[in-house]
Amino acid sequence: MTSTQHRTTVWPWIVMAVAGLHTFVASMTVSPDVVQGQLSRIMYVHVPAAWLAYLAFGVTMFASAMYLWKKDFRWDRRALASAEIGVLFTALAIGLGMIWAKPTWGVWWTWDARLTLTSIMFFVYLGYLALRRTTDNLDVRAARSAIFGVLAVVQVPLVHFSVIWWRTLHQPPTLLNPEGPAMDTAMVITLLIAVASFTVIYVAMMFKRIELARLEDEVLVADQTSSGPVAGQAVTAPGLTKGS
Amino acid sequence: MKRYAKFVIPAVAIVGVLVVLMVNLSSALVYYNTPAEVQAREPGQSRLRLAGQVVAGSVIEADTTVVFSVQDCDIAVSVVHTGTPPQLFSEGIGVVVEGSWNGEEFVSDTMLVMHDEQYRADAEDYDKDLHTCSES
Repeated sequence: MTSTQHRTTVWPWIVMAVAGLHTFVASMTVSPDVVQGQLSRIMYVHVPAAWLAYLAFGVTMFASAMYLWKKDFRWDRRALASAEIGVLFTALAIGLGMIWAKPTWGVWWTWDARLTLTSIMFFVYLGYLALRRTTDNLDVRAARSAIFGVLAVVQVPLVHFSVIWWRTLHQPPTLLNPEGPAMDTAMVITLLIAVASFTVIYVAMMFKRIELARLEDEVLVADQTSSGPVAGQAVTAPGLTKGS
Repeated sequence: MKRYAKFVIPAVAIVGVLVVLMVNLSSALVYYNTPAEVQAREPGQSRLRLAGQVVAGSVIEADTTVVFSVQDCDIAVSVVHTGTPPQLFSEGIGVVVEGSWNGEEFVSDTMLVMHDEQYRADAEDYDKDLHTCSES
């Protein structure tokens, strides 16, 4: 049955490549910081990655709440997609932060409040992704992860304000500083370009991941509703009807 | 397995993990002490962190040690640091040193450079006095 062949969209890949290149060019052409030198360019990816992680986890919270309200699996898949991308962006922010920290602070890692809370946020959302794999029952999976997805978002303000509320090695926010941005205008514009590009990348990734999640759910449902008992038959050779 | 055990055991585990986290987190929340707080402490061997700006003109470098003062809100403490300082170490920059307070000097073996939130292309726009006094 060739008609079941799914056509997947290509445009998100192109959008991601263009937006990524855009960020790279912008962050490489702006003047470096007087104290950090060339290292300051890391900020143009580190900061958007961290912000988009916040946004992604906020979207997971919203989509999870919408699932609990509407019981529509589309919201469940949106919550999953956003959480997964959020984990990716958190990892990117942590990794780039470490590369910046070694030459600046002198260490790759230290347990100050910002770094500790960010790593907890990372592992909690990895836990969210793991929780989704604990059952094949779509209703149970969606309900469990939706509750988790709503509760876990409390960490986002905790991570963001940690540098203001507590004494940390990590510097306070530059752009969202309560006393006004401590950054040159050209750098602010570059950072905003990078944030816009990252937002576009996020949307494109969401599109691809939701598409994939829908296909995954279709396969799962097809497996569960197809011929006879499933248990104990896992070793049976798969049918070769496809493509024949 | 009783039905309630399915909920009680994970709940106890989650509470346990949270307690461990909160206990460890409370020490992470205050990453460093100010010179005033260090001076108020009893001399001893306990490890702590001290942060402040390196006082201009106070740095004396020897073979394996660096002696300097760190200052915050006009209160300075002298530091004897053993080891190579990080490459951004210079007069006027913020540092965190780790070690113990002997009543007169802070004896340190680990040093981190604090970077502030300023991003400036031109040295003239850089505000050196932004963090001369930390609140709280």
